[in-house]
Amino acid sequence: MKDKRFAIVLDTRRCIDCKACTVACKTENNVPIGDETYRNWVTEEPLRGTYPKLGQSFSPSQCNQCANPPCNSVCPTSATGITIGGIVTVDPDKCIGCKYCMLACPYDARFYNEENGVIDKCTFCIQRVTVGGIPACVETCPTKVRVFGDLNDPNSEVSILLAKNAHRVLKPELGTKPFLYYLI
Amino acid sequence: MARLIDKKLSRRRFLGTSSCVLAVAAVGSQTTVLKALAESGEVTTSTGDGTKDVFTACGMCVNKCGVIARVRNGRIHKLDPNPDYIKSRGMLCARGNAGVKVVYDPDRLKYPLIRVGKRGEGKWRRASWEEALDLVATKMTEIADKYTRAGVMFASTEGTFQEHFFLQLAECFGSTNTVRHPTLCLSSNIQGFSATYGTFPTPDVLNSDYIIMAGANRSEALITPDSIDQLKGDGGRRKLVYLDPRFTKTAAKADEWFPIKPGTDMAFVLAMLNVIVSEGLYAKEFVEKMTVGFDMLPPHVKKYTPEWAAKECEIPAQDIRRIAREFANAAPKAVFYPGRRSSFATDDVQLRRAMAILNAVVGNWDTEGGLVPNSHIPLQKHAYLAPWYDDIPLRIDDGSAVFLSEKDGSWVAMRDRIIAGKPYPVKGMMIYKQNVVMSVPNRTKTLKMMDQMDFICTIDIAMSDTAWYSDVVLPEATYLERQDPLESIGGILPVVAFRQPCIAPLFESKPNLWIMQNLAKRLGSEIAETFDFTIDEYIHHQVSKNPKILHDLKTTGVHYLKVEPTYGLTKGKRLRTKTGKIEIYSENYAKNGLDPLPVYTRHEDVPANKFRLLVGRNAYFTHGTTSNNAYLHELMAENTLWLNSQSASKMGLRDGQSVKVKSNVGEGTLKLEVTDKIRPDCVYMAHGFGVLSKGQSLVYGRGACDAALIEDKLEPISGNVAMHQTFVEISPA
Amino acid sequence: MSTLAKKPGYILWFLVLGTCLIAAAGAAGYSFYVGHGQAFNVNRGVPWGILISTYVFLAISCSGLCMISSLGHVFGFEEFTLICRRAILLAILCLIGAFGAIGLDLERPFNMVYTLLSPNFSSAIWWMGTVYGLYLGILIIEFYALMKNNHKLSMITGTVGFLFAIAAPSVLGAVFGLTLARPFWHGAFLPVYILITALVSGTALICLVMYFHHALRGLVMDTKDKRVVRLLGRILRLMIFVLIFSVFWNIIVGLYGAQPGHYEPVKALISGSLSVNFWLGEIVIGLVIPLFLLMRKNRTPFTTMVASLMALVGMFFMRYDMTVAGQLYPMRQGAEGLKQGLFSYSPSISEYLIVIGCIAFSALVYTLAERFLSLDLESEQHI
Ligand SMILES: Nc1nc2c(c(=O)[nH]1)N[C@H]1C(S)=C(S)[C@@H](COP(=O)(O)OP(=O)(O)OC[C@H]3O[C@@H](n4cnc5c(=O)[nH]c(N)nc54)[C@H](O)[C@@H]3O)O[C@H]1N2
Ligand SMILES: Nc1nc2c(c(=O)[nH]1)N[C@H]1C(S)=C(S)[C@@H](COP(=O)(O)OP(=O)(O)OC[C@H]3O[C@@H](n4cnc5c(=O)[nH]c(N)nc54)[C@H](O)[C@@H]3O)O[C@H]1N2
Ligand code: SF4
Ligand code: SF4
Ligand code: SF4
Ligand code: SF4
Ligand code: SF4
Ligand SMILES: [Mo]
Repeated sequence: MKDKRFAIVLDTRRCIDCKACTVACKTENNVPIGDETYRNWVTEEPLRGTYPKLGQSFSPSQCNQCANPPCNSVCPTSATGITIGGIVTVDPDKCIGCKYCMLACPYDARFYNEENGVIDKCTFCIQRVTVGGIPACVETCPTKVRVFGDLNDPNSEVSILLAKNAHRVLKPELGTKPFLYYLI
Repeated sequence: MARLIDKKLSRRRFLGTSSCVLAVAAVGSQTTVLKALAESGEVTTSTGDGTKDVFTACGMCVNKCGVIARVRNGRIHKLDPNPDYIKSRGMLCARGNAGVKVVYDPDRLKYPLIRVGKRGEGKWRRASWEEALDLVATKMTEIADKYTRAGVMFASTEGTFQEHFFLQLAECFGSTNTVRHPTLCLSSNIQGFSATYGTFPTPDVLNSDYIIMAGANRSEALITPDSIDQLKGDGGRRKLVYLDPRFTKTAAKADEWFPIKPGTDMAFVLAMLNVIVSEGLYAKEFVEKMTVGFDMLPPHVKKYTPEWAAKECEIPAQDIRRIAREFANAAPKAVFYPGRRSSFATDDVQLRRAMAILNAVVGNWDTEGGLVPNSHIPLQKHAYLAPWYDDIPLRIDDGSAVFLSEKDGSWVAMRDRIIAGKPYPVKGMMIYKQNVVMSVPNRTKTLKMMDQMDFICTIDIAMSDTAWYSDVVLPEATYLERQDPLESIGGILPVVAFRQPCIAPLFESKPNLWIMQNLAKRLGSEIAETFDFTIDEYIHHQVSKNPKILHDLKTTGVHYLKVEPTYGLTKGKRLRTKTGKIEIYSENYAKNGLDPLPVYTRHEDVPANKFRLLVGRNAYFTHGTTSNNAYLHELMAENTLWLNSQSASKMGLRDGQSVKVKSNVGEGTLKLEVTDKIRPDCVYMAHGFGVLSKGQSLVYGRGACDAALIEDKLEPISGNVAMHQTFVEISPA
Repeated sequence: MSTLAKKPGYILWFLVLGTCLIAAAGAAGYSFYVGHGQAFNVNRGVPWGILISTYVFLAISCSGLCMISSLGHVFGFEEFTLICRRAILLAILCLIGAFGAIGLDLERPFNMVYTLLSPNFSSAIWWMGTVYGLYLGILIIEFYALMKNNHKLSMITGTVGFLFAIAAPSVLGAVFGLTLARPFWHGAFLPVYILITALVSGTALICLVMYFHHALRGLVMDTKDKRVVRLLGRILRLMIFVLIFSVFWNIIVGLYGAQPGHYEPVKALISGSLSVNFWLGEIVIGLVIPLFLLMRKNRTPFTTMVASLMALVGMFFMRYDMTVAGQLYPMRQGAEGLKQGLFSYSPSISEYLIVIGCIAFSALVYTLAERFLSLDLESEQHI
């Protein structure tokens, strides 16, 4: 586990906006029901063109598990930390709920979880991946938009996908070193 | 802090568990409601063995995807897709994932209920199973004595794997009046294709290079594996042409989208035939060998030129011509997708015939990437001897359609005759897993029909609008709490699925078999005897010829024979048509006074200042059913009326304002959604809102009900309903 | 001092403050019970609301007070020494009020121990907390020294306090300035800007203290006092002048080049959801009118007091607008609850009540101190 570097590669061209990933995440991680409580999301991009020549794309996203996470450097109590595979986590026992990390995250990946009174975020389903599983949102996706894997393993599906395809990350200019890769 | 959380919890606990079915419950996260239910003693915190993974099948829609239920400490924690389940390619959609909420839903039916107020008033009293079943049996017998045994109708829909127990009861009770979903759904589709091929084949979407989908929204109306395969394609050579008056999520994924004028698909298909035939692009020797009556086709389609069709369907002639050529060139690895729900227009059977013929002439029959007849994995049937009764009349809707299914009937024809009381009275209604009030167009009529019933009993898992208008409501255990029989699911890669209980049934809910058996007991020993078996005996009988099936199901959650399609099984064999061949020209239709070749008929145009109301699904709901599921409710809390932005500005209507929608049969009020995603002459609203039942605490009072607006026209060949010929006025509300 | 007790308004004053405190306590309890999610209007898009901006307002006022008063006993401006006790006391109370505001904004205040058990030195908020924590300590000692007329000690603590008074606001500025994700805040501008505003708040507060110290007792200001007030007025005028410049340039920079995330919040200030706050609260009440009043040749201590009061009100708006504006621009398009591409926030009743409570607390304790402690220096005890 120590020597792993987890990442998710997304091919949004395959996304049909079915929202299976968002519901799967909520059930798997007991994320409270509510408009503002979600660990992942699917954005309906605005319509392109005008009737009858239209186009639209859908982009799923979640925490980038940044290698240089601002949410981590701003956390006064070190409640936010980086664990195995580069996963960024929040320790509920240390979090004071100052919400500074919510402001620091450039991706809107964090939210306040009233169920347990602390800040919540995507953990790449650490409870699953540490026992050899794959994240719920990855597994359930009908069209398999997301691929999860270890970038330190050159033969992993993610490594191969990135080697073979052009890709981008979100807001690279901020130097957060995200580990969500979008194929283009 | 823990104390505080508890406080927050207790607040929800109180709301979450008020044993009254109609409690307007504030639903917290899954765990919260669960804890709540548990701590109030309404859920035994540990049911059966605590922690296990259970193979089962999703019960949220027709597809029955493979599920592995992760049970933790006696609670269903998560539903994961079963990767081995080839039909669903190891996926679960939003609804499938939301299944946990079906079990741990404060709104779910918990106990047998007997109506105390007026019908639809929502006043109930909790009853014991004994009392409830006694009442049902008495009422059924009363009606049988007063009228005939056909005086009790049985309405049901597939899906639970236990429907045939219900139909068995109907048959053994002696009623000919069973009515099922196909005449709200795909009966005209099955009729049109079967008349041509002798069967309803499956398109080999995965391996097809060229797919035309007309009125089949596979990115939202999920059909496994098509919804998944439509995006795969072979090395990117795949082309998807999509015809839909709405810019759906399938349109967003398609290579080409044409906002076709509703009800004119046949013009498009006939024009394609015209091009393919006149330019000699059809599969000559295939047509020679495999079909009959091709020679009648060229003269028939001569007048259906692309130029003519362009005027009808509003798709440019050159595009029709081009698509026809591309399609023929890609053949046989090309399909004109048959579609699923075909309750479209009053000549829908002929539309599906045209589609079938188009596929036939390019010779894509029973080959890779074409139309492939389904294979099935045989299971042993449970034979029983239904009691004999004299003078049971024929189905009340007998003769209402040319080819009427004995078992399925015709919903709207039947309803009309019941209301008229002709030729005989039907005064009792048994309903299983069907939400007739929401699903059968023209709600007013449905309620009228129910009004004149002496007795209505609904077996459901939720307080559906139908249950709401019943006299007795019986709670079935949900699909995650039941042992269901094995179900053989046909297809290009056929599978056998089953369901095992993940937890013991909560509250007093019972599996349908138990309900049927205990009802049968009360209806007489003759009927009871036909149910003289346990579910295990039943299952073992199903696999008596091949025990491996059950073994596979228990160890992998699915049984299948092959992972690679085998094509051409029908080559050289007789098809199940009269002539044994693909019938381009149908003698059988001619004999029945029907057009032997599909003739285009122009449907009524949208009257001035009106709009055509479109019907269609979204990926979050199953029909009128799942809109009250907390996880899905947050994806769409209420429905809106789609209106094209040009039309909106013409009428001076604003996005988000609330509007009144009025058809010839009903009206509703909902918020306006101004969008370019729809033709200027159409409007659309999602199904499953504007519910009447206060037992659906999340959606009650939200949005409008399409079933209240849609007119109930009849497709006379199959008895299917035609849902796409309703025009509405809209005005600011 | 006895003169105070006789004032009828005095009782009323206590009643008002008392009710404010009780109401605030109620709001705090409520928010604790039902959870901030329900009690406060802060949300996923705008997690920092009026409680944080009030914290900033009070904390900065505290630093300002010290800087100015230090001019007195540190640099030995004779005139200031006579109000230094009041200044330090008020500084302490502001800081306690500030901690109250931020403390009630925390979801899990009890986990604060981990700022010591597992500190994160790269966190600006950690430094801010620590600096202000120590600062409070020093201020208390300083106050003690002043009361005991221990000049040596007060000299030392005063000097250290002065350094902290400079350091603290800049660290606080850094809390905002270091958020790369938020272009409206990010950059070196904020720490400096905060420092300037600190001086404005501080000066304004001292003017108020001076004025009411006399007014409440019906004492007439002698020439010495008048001179101090004039001097303070001049400082305030200068500061406001500088501030107007920095505000002006901040706006220009924001509009110029229309950098996403900087442009939109500025637009929200000058023509959007915050425009009333900005133009009326910050510019007119906070800067223009005070400046105008302070320019007047023949200005009395009264006009200076009014100018100070208005400047303070302006400061409060400035904190609020700065805090909220920086969050209006979403981190991703298509997020929940956007109106014309921006988030929106307006405080809930509970939030307002808590804010009022924090200020009322400082005021109440201060009045009590005036009543029961001798905040005047020996030199004028016998009056
Ligand atoms: N998520 C989800 N999936 C489901 C179901 C569900 O309820 N929810 N139900 C299942 C069942 S039972 C069925 S039968 C299938 C149904 O699946 P589909 O057959 O795809 O049925 P719909 O989505 O109802 O209708 C398809 C499209 O037809 C369009 N349409 C309307 N009029 C016309 C017309 O005249 N011409 C053309 N070309 N298009 C037209 C509508 O805009 C709609 O987008 O879905 C199955 N899958
Ligand atoms: N307006 C409009 N009407 C339509 C359609 C449309 O798109 N728009 N689609 C048509 C089509 S294609 C179809 S197939 C039909 C489907 O219509 P229906 O056959 O009525 O199916 P559902 O609407 O899904 O209702 C299923 C009912 O069964 C209940 N149920 C679910 N699970 C169980 C269970 O395990 N046991 C029991 N006893 N009950 C259960 C649900 O609570 C619900 O009340 O609707 C048709 N009607
Ligand atoms: S599950 Fe897959 S297809 Fe569905 S919305 Fe999520 S990413 Fe898109
Ligand atoms: S995406 Fe946001 S929350 Fe996730 S690691 Fe990066 S900064 Fe932290
Ligand atoms: S809210 Fe919690 S996790 Fe976020 S910065 Fe504050 S203490 Fe750290
Ligand atoms: S990886 Fe797990 S936690 Fe993260 S979004 Fe997907 S399901 Fe949610
Ligand atoms: S498609 Fe969705 S709802 Fe239907 S069976 Fe599969 S998972 Fe369940
Ligand atoms: Mo259907």
